[in-house]
Amino acid sequence: MPVPIFPIPLWEQCLTLFCVIMAGVTLVCAGALTYFKRVRMERPAVGTFNARDVVILLVLIGVLPWVYGWLPVPLVTCLLVLTFGSALYIGYRPMLGPVGIWLGIGLLFGFNIWSSNHVMGTIAGWDLWYAEQSIAVLLSAIAVCNLYVQGGMKLRYVAWLSFGLACYDVVFASYYPLTGRLLARYITHPLTPVVGMRFGEVDYAVGLGDLLAYSLFFLAAYKAYGKRAAAVAAVIIVVMGGFATAFLPFLFNLTNANLDTLIPAQSLFGPAAFVTYLWMSRHYGRERTMAEYLASQDGVTGASQAEQVRAPEPASVSPSGVREVAS
Amino acid sequence: MFETGVRQFRLALGMAQGRRLNPRNVERLVEDVLATVAEFGEPGSDAAELVDGPMASPADRLEMTNNSLRRTAVRLAAQSPFYARHFSSAQVDPAKLDVAGLRAIPVTVKADLIERPADFRCTDVPACLATRTTGTTGRPAEVWLSRYEVELWSALGALGSVLRGELRPGDVMQVNLSSRSAVSMHLAVSGCRLSGAGCRPLGIVSPETSLDNLAEGGATILLTVPSYLGELVTAARRAGMGASDFRLRRIVVGGEVLSPSLARAAARTFGVALVDDPYSMTEIVPVTGRPCSQGHIHHDLNLGRTELIDLDTGEPAAPGALGTLVITPYFPYRDCTPVFRYDTRDVARCLPDAPLRCELPGIPATSQILGKADHLLRMPGGEIVTSRQIIEAIEALPASPWPARYRAAACDGRIRLTLPASALAGLDEAEARRHFATAGLDTDLDIVGDDQATSLRHTRSDMHETTFASQPALVGA
Repeated sequence: MPVPIFPIPLWEQCLTLFCVIMAGVTLVCAGALTYFKRVRMERPAVGTFNARDVVILLVLIGVLPWVYGWLPVPLVTCLLVLTFGSALYIGYRPMLGPVGIWLGIGLLFGFNIWSSNHVMGTIAGWDLWYAEQSIAVLLSAIAVCNLYVQGGMKLRYVAWLSFGLACYDVVFASYYPLTGRLLARYITHPLTPVVGMRFGEVDYAVGLGDLLAYSLFFLAAYKAYGKRAAAVAAVIIVVMGGFATAFLPFLFNLTNANLDTLIPAQSLFGPAAFVTYLWMSRHYGRERTMAEYLASQDGVTGASQAEQVRAPEPASVSPSGVREVAS
Repeated sequence: MFETGVRQFRLALGMAQGRRLNPRNVERLVEDVLATVAEFGEPGSDAAELVDGPMASPADRLEMTNNSLRRTAVRLAAQSPFYARHFSSAQVDPAKLDVAGLRAIPVTVKADLIERPADFRCTDVPACLATRTTGTTGRPAEVWLSRYEVELWSALGALGSVLRGELRPGDVMQVNLSSRSAVSMHLAVSGCRLSGAGCRPLGIVSPETSLDNLAEGGATILLTVPSYLGELVTAARRAGMGASDFRLRRIVVGGEVLSPSLARAAARTFGVALVDDPYSMTEIVPVTGRPCSQGHIHHDLNLGRTELIDLDTGEPAAPGALGTLVITPYFPYRDCTPVFRYDTRDVARCLPDAPLRCELPGIPATSQILGKADHLLRMPGGEIVTSRQIIEAIEALPASPWPARYRAAACDGRIRLTLPASALAGLDEAEARRHFATAGLDTDLDIVGDDQATSLRHTRSDMHETTFASQPALVGA
């Protein structure tokens, strides 16, 4: 039986992973919030994110890994180029313009594809690749997060999505390790959807899906209830998405012979996010709409007339509660 | 959001291909718009394109029109006995029809529709609901609708209304139209239902009853005809009611000429910014015209073809000339009793041949409706006096005689105008003549008693529907 050889103690690896996760989480949440406050994405004439979209997303999340696993690697790369390219184009065209955005995407992807084929083999090369990789993934996560939240995705839907992802993670990271197999097959290829860094002989990374779930929860909480709710969401992300995820291997001695430990982060974070949403909805009441959020930024309170008619404030919300919601 | 995209795609595809649309799909789009408005306060910036269609290049627009005309004509030739004969006698091949060849087809007149209504009915769809014209300008015509039309028009109407913010959840629409206007009533009721608004169809009841409902019932939208609006304004002034007594945010009228003086008075009395005066007609639904801030009527491009035909030559009206609106609703928007090149006899003036500078420059327009072609006064020297000119002058009199009651005839080069005495209250005959001269009307006046006022000019407000509200209570069953 092979004996795992740890370059550093397990608790140090867990701490390193925690730092990597927190770096990714901090960058993506701060970036998403800054973007949310400063940039208004174009939206279609009709349409807002609803419960059916959550179901469609979960179905896609369930189906796509099988497709990725079945397709040849070059085709997977093409699909990822298309996916990342769309996200970056939608997200950053308002800031960079049509020429700037294509130039930026071209440089980012070009360097990514080049580095995937030429700089591996040394730790410095790995780190260069990871750094470049992380930029693409972080920027994409920030764009997609804003696309959903500015598109009307409510905290309620984020909570349900997180809960669904938790179920998915339990099945496909623990019982049927599809996620691990996919990662093992695709790592080192361009646009691998992870943010990470190599220390010594070990890779420490957090997946794009996890970062997206965290940033969605954080940003949707901010939009729905303001700064305090965002702070509560941040605590949940740090504790369940960061600390618990990173130290789970240490607590339960989860390792394997290859030192590859895939932790189903969403199975920890999802239920916590869902319970937190339930608490927030009871404590703060009805979520703010985008219109109400924007009005609050202009120093104007209150929703559109239509929204007020459709969704009056719950009777249990006290005046002090209303003040707390408004940011 | 994903589903909404699919629905929009299905709607656009159906419209482009000219296939029957799925009314339920459009209804769900209405729900999507309501959800969008609830979340964002308003639809996205591309909403106008969704309502009016993309303002494509003239070549694309021409191609769309040709395709729509062919599709409609081919169906009518196959399914409508009247139009099978009509096209055949005009020696027109419907499959090769285009805008240039349209003039070879004689216009359809109201008499055809009145005399042979069954021949107009398409044989491939069962009839569901009959609606009649009000008959204020002659014998009423009857138009049958299929269930598909009933559902589709409601959904399309509601979609346009919620996208433009004309209807929103929480609104209450009071409808003071004749109860026989089945289509208008149905569209109002179902449009409100789909938009989450309330609807109170009252009919043409006594103005006092309507005012009570407006004030106490919290109506936010009033849908009526200009003549009845005039009666409401008069009754409100008599009762000392003003803007603070009402919650109205919109007043919509149609079917008759609305004068600026009445529109201003109604806006002031009921506390609205302006009175909307869109163009529509029972025989040519669902094709409509939308007014703009510069007083044009912009005619719907997507649902039908609108021509302005010279009153004398039958050729397209020249810029500045008067013409009658000839309208062809397209299939698949008109299904059961379609009409092709229907001469509405509604007169409008062709706008100067220059780019429009209003807020709807991409949609073809005419002047506002000036009256019925059969009511024009032809004066010596070729001058034509329209009903609108006369109504506007009468309704601007100091006595505010709303709705205008008059009879007009050309006599010895002048206009012989018969008016009820109350219309000229406060003016002697010379002052009255000067008033009309200022409006460009050289008149001789005949004054009759007020008891003859109604017989001078019938208006839609004359079709009163009685209630028991003002009568003693009945005893027994």
